[in-house]
Amino acid sequence: MTSAHTLPPRVTDEKRGRKLLGGIALPVGILALLIAGSVLSEQFLTARNLTNVLINMSIVGIIVVGMTFVFIVRGLADLSVPAMVAIGALLALGLQPALGSLPAAMFGVAAASCAGLINGLLIGYARLNPVITTLATGTIVLGVAQAAVGGVIVYGDSPGLQSFLTGRLLGVPVIVLIFLAVALGGHLLLSRTTFGRWVYATGANPDATKASAVPLRFTKGAAFWMTATLSGFSGVLLGLTLQTARPGVGTGYEFDAITAVVVGGVSLLGGFGNMPRALGGLLLVTLLSNIMVLNGIATESQGLVMGALIAAAVALDVYLRRRGGAS
Amino acid sequence: MEGITKAFPGVKALTDVDLTARAGEVHAIVGENGAGKSTLMKILAGVHTPDEGTITLDGEQVRFGSPLEAKQNGIGMVYQEINLVPDLSVAENIGLGNMPASGGMIRRKALHDRAREVLEELHTRIPPQELVGRLSVSQQQLVEIAKIYARQPRIVVLDEPTSSLSHHEAEALFAVVERMRNSGIAIIYISHRLREVLEISDRVTVLRDGRMIDCRSAQGLTPKEMISLMVGRDLDDVFPKQAVEIGEPVLEVRGLTRLGVFEDVSLTVRAGEIVGLAGLVGAGRTEVARAIFGLDRLDAGQILVGGEEIRVRSPRSAVRAGIAYVPEDRKRDGVALSLTVKDNIALPVLHRVSTLGWVLRRPERELAQQKAEDLHISPPVVDRPAATFSGGNQQKVVLAKWLATNPKVLILDEPTRGVDVGAKADIHTIIGELAAQGVAVLMISSELPEVLAVSDRVYVLHEGRLTAELSRDDADEESVMTAATGEGAAA
Repeated sequence: MTSAHTLPPRVTDEKRGRKLLGGIALPVGILALLIAGSVLSEQFLTARNLTNVLINMSIVGIIVVGMTFVFIVRGLADLSVPAMVAIGALLALGLQPALGSLPAAMFGVAAASCAGLINGLLIGYARLNPVITTLATGTIVLGVAQAAVGGVIVYGDSPGLQSFLTGRLLGVPVIVLIFLAVALGGHLLLSRTTFGRWVYATGANPDATKASAVPLRFTKGAAFWMTATLSGFSGVLLGLTLQTARPGVGTGYEFDAITAVVVGGVSLLGGFGNMPRALGGLLLVTLLSNIMVLNGIATESQGLVMGALIAAAVALDVYLRRRGGAS
Repeated sequence: MEGITKAFPGVKALTDVDLTARAGEVHAIVGENGAGKSTLMKILAGVHTPDEGTITLDGEQVRFGSPLEAKQNGIGMVYQEINLVPDLSVAENIGLGNMPASGGMIRRKALHDRAREVLEELHTRIPPQELVGRLSVSQQQLVEIAKIYARQPRIVVLDEPTSSLSHHEAEALFAVVERMRNSGIAIIYISHRLREVLEISDRVTVLRDGRMIDCRSAQGLTPKEMISLMVGRDLDDVFPKQAVEIGEPVLEVRGLTRLGVFEDVSLTVRAGEIVGLAGLVGAGRTEVARAIFGLDRLDAGQILVGGEEIRVRSPRSAVRAGIAYVPEDRKRDGVALSLTVKDNIALPVLHRVSTLGWVLRRPERELAQQKAEDLHISPPVVDRPAATFSGGNQQKVVLAKWLATNPKVLILDEPTRGVDVGAKADIHTIIGELAAQGVAVLMISSELPEVLAVSDRVYVLHEGRLTAELSRDDADEESVMTAATGEGAAA
């Protein structure tokens, strides 16, 4: 009864804080970075550099779309991303001699998708801890993929696909178009479909959602399946653009994706956030790292900045939630 | 404790309550659910601070700002739930927070010796080196008491200590209580089991609606007298009751059993009928409802809706069969607070406002808006998060969600708990209207007057078993309380 009376004003506070964080802070931050970037480096505001930023965003961006679902469904995070990226890239290139370029690429996505299905079953249906589960499946998948393709570095031989992906359509790099299509699809799935509603509800209050006849286990599992499939797809694109892949090719993608989602203000505690926010977070993070690279900041220092950013964003999220009395 | 008054927003939990516990006596407190027993004890334990009144300990006025302060002043609390670490030994649990140590190392021998001493003083036969997790519930309860006893308290409060014990186990507990009393400790004993209260206590205080009704010597008191003291109140709430034609059985439950929780529960609810499920807290009312709705597993029994047997493995199958459940714990099982009212209401019926998984926003909004208006949710703004609404309106959101599914059977678990008077009347009216439309309603409430006023028929549960089925004419506070306290056979 006490909470019934004290809750409304606190939640208003939370709303205000969240509006500040997501509604204004994100665009303001991006704008500030654009200004800072053009002041700090002459190369920054060139079409070539900004195109590079977009291309860099695209590979991670496809993973961010999946990771956003994982966050909102209160699945914590998917740490099998590097393995899924690697399996996608390794198979897409390594199987080319046997299957041909396109079937090999599809096989890469399918393999990641199957591994994602295992993630989904273990996390959604067997209710295992997502962090430990994805860490374990990731390690296993990577091992299997390495064994399957044999060598350490795999080279591709599909110049046609490579030039298509790195080429442009109506002036926009094809890979960016692919990312935008995935992002739009993810956005619509999350905001306009029954499944999207289930995702929010599951993250907001799993008990009440289960009691409302929602297939809770399916919803949670599907978020992980999607993330793995998209990561595999992303890996395939990466492999085809580079025409070379090694098992470590996906390293760091999980961290980049998580950073983007968290900085975008999507709650690690579930039930809150949306696709535009997550992608805004991605843009901010990508710009920041681009500026640091252009200004010759050492890799170690870049890590420091990114680490601090993610810690600050999570702390702010938890703080706002506590104030809101939701946890 | 003298003149204790405590108000929570919207409710006066205690009004001018006096309580005196003497050294070397067992003082029982009895009362209905919500009479104020727990609040009074939480004030003694330093969990709440009283708005008015004083607490005097050995002639000295005290004021506890925290549970720790109360503990340091010799107040020991044994709650219903067991508060032990299952992976530590009995001795370690008893010594927890007070370990004999030298140079940062625990002196195991001293720890065990002390635990053995305490356990022997209480004449229990629990080995100090055993892991607590391996003990039975009743043994754990005794360890809990031993833990309190080891701190040499002046007052020990036992809150429903026997609720999960068999009679034989309870006897062992009484022996321990007796030994504590004989060592000069004042014991405050809260229980719903009236016979047991009479057996063990020296004096009995009866609370009702936050007031002290009487304090008597247990000598010569009968369970019947206690019941009439507990329930004898004026009905000042007026519940509307419509005359509705009662139809065929809609929900039939046969021999429902969940081992250790409830047993062989059979009940029937007909179309247009409102059936009350009464009983004391812990009697298994909520558990029966949860099992019918598929939230908890069943060990045996049949559930029939409209004459056809259904298998409920999850709420999904229950909802498909036409069952809706407004849960007891609104914040946990009822609303998703961070979602909007619209999203909450539409959640179980998304398939009706979508095609091929694509949500049609107009029909979705119209459905939510319609339900919000039907139920007088105020303000009727469906785009705001549920958290921004009052408790009463959140409860209406839960009701709206379930009404949107057009249920045949509506199970309401404490539908008006923590709800203000206006919303309460609204909810009663809605329940009446639903019954008039032919919905079969099963209602659980801890407020006896509410159950009696709303129900056509009342089932009473006592310790997981049905002890009475009373028609509207036969059901009154005494008959229900008699069955709820398990005094039915004796009366």
